[in-house]
Amino acid sequence: MENLAIVAVFIALGYFFGRMAESRHYQSIHEREQAFLHLPTTSSKKPLGHIGPITQARLVQGNVVISVDYFKRFLATLRNIFGGTIQAYETLLDRARREAVLRLKESCPDADQIINLRLETSSISKGDTERIGSVEVLAYGTAIYSQQNTSQAAPQ
Amino acid sequence: MKYQSSLPEHNDNVSHQHPVREFALLMLGVIGFILLSFWILGFFVDLAVDSISPKDEAELFAEIDIDWDFGEKSSIQKQTRVQQILDALRLCHDIPFATPVTVVESKDINAMALPGGRIVVFSGLLDSIKSSNGLAFVLAHELGHFKNRDHLRSIGRGIVLAALSTLLTGANSSISQMLTSTMTLGQAKYSQSRESKADETALQILNCHYGHVGGATELFEALQEQEGAWNFGMLHYFDTHPELQNRINAIYHLSKERDYQVGKTQSLDNSVSF
Repeated sequence: MENLAIVAVFIALGYFFGRMAESRHYQSIHEREQAFLHLPTTSSKKPLGHIGPITQARLVQGNVVISVDYFKRFLATLRNIFGGTIQAYETLLDRARREAVLRLKESCPDADQIINLRLETSSISKGDTERIGSVEVLAYGTAIYSQQNTSQAAPQ
Repeated sequence: MKYQSSLPEHNDNVSHQHPVREFALLMLGVIGFILLSFWILGFFVDLAVDSISPKDEAELFAEIDIDWDFGEKSSIQKQTRVQQILDALRLCHDIPFATPVTVVESKDINAMALPGGRIVVFSGLLDSIKSSNGLAFVLAHELGHFKNRDHLRSIGRGIVLAALSTLLTGANSSISQMLTSTMTLGQAKYSQSRESKADETALQILNCHYGHVGGATELFEALQEQEGAWNFGMLHYFDTHPELQNRINAIYHLSKERDYQVGKTQSLDNSVSF
């Protein structure tokens, strides 16, 4: 009986705080994505359009680690029994990817474009079933600066 | 081609179903499946128990030496006295193996029947019972469990319960904890019916030994007094033992039906001081 109560409390706490953290994070993601609309980011090998002579190109990266909450993990474990999409983890990874790309953009606000964008995902505490898992997403790419922008593009 | 910067209108990478809905659906599915399989496997446990003869059972448990540790044992006098009362009932039941008693020092008002024939009595029970008839009823109740093979049934169900939850989710996971609790709730209802049955057997033994059933409800009345104001109706669903008043009523009802007399009880203190 006590076990049931403890698990229920953990689930409720996980749900409440997890939802709160998630909606705050999404709000921040939306605002920052809007703010960085001017910086094209693609996975293409070459710059988009004609941007003139490139004065500088450098490796930029953004990295984030986000933890699963108790509710999500419980839901995912339940899902493991029946199979199907683990919807509980979808928002987690979506947030992690977008946050990583945002951090990458924030590391080079004066670049003209970011090309060759790559995303890597890895799970921390892999295979350890006893612990709450967390996910790491690393975004890396090449920030390029063109001549028009040279005045702002001085390396920091 | 001109690059047009814009954000997507919809996020297609996440599902928009409410997580609580998914949670409720999955939970219902798991609990339904577990309760159903528990019920079916419980049926097979009963079948298996019925096919184990008391002789086989005695042999089986003779080889297993389980170290039950319930706490400090009470004085030899207490042990002997309780054992005497239990042994005196021997003529009135047909349990084919020895039933040694261990009295343990504890505030708990409880007694239990362990596999292998041992009966454990907590000393709190001896303090709250005044007559040897009352104690005899409790001991006869435990004998009733042996007679009805409830100790085997509960072990069998315990194994099924542990195996099911471990198989499904792995030991010690939060889900298996949750499932074990759910199954314990399901089992509570089952145990209640076994307790009533043991009460019935106990009443029979009591009447056979003393010639009347005086003192049968003594423990329940004492417990009821203790429970007092804390008697919330709903909580009793979770008890493994039927609500005290129900048990008392059932005992009265049964005594009437079978024409058992209620005679004078013998004081415990007069026989031997604890």
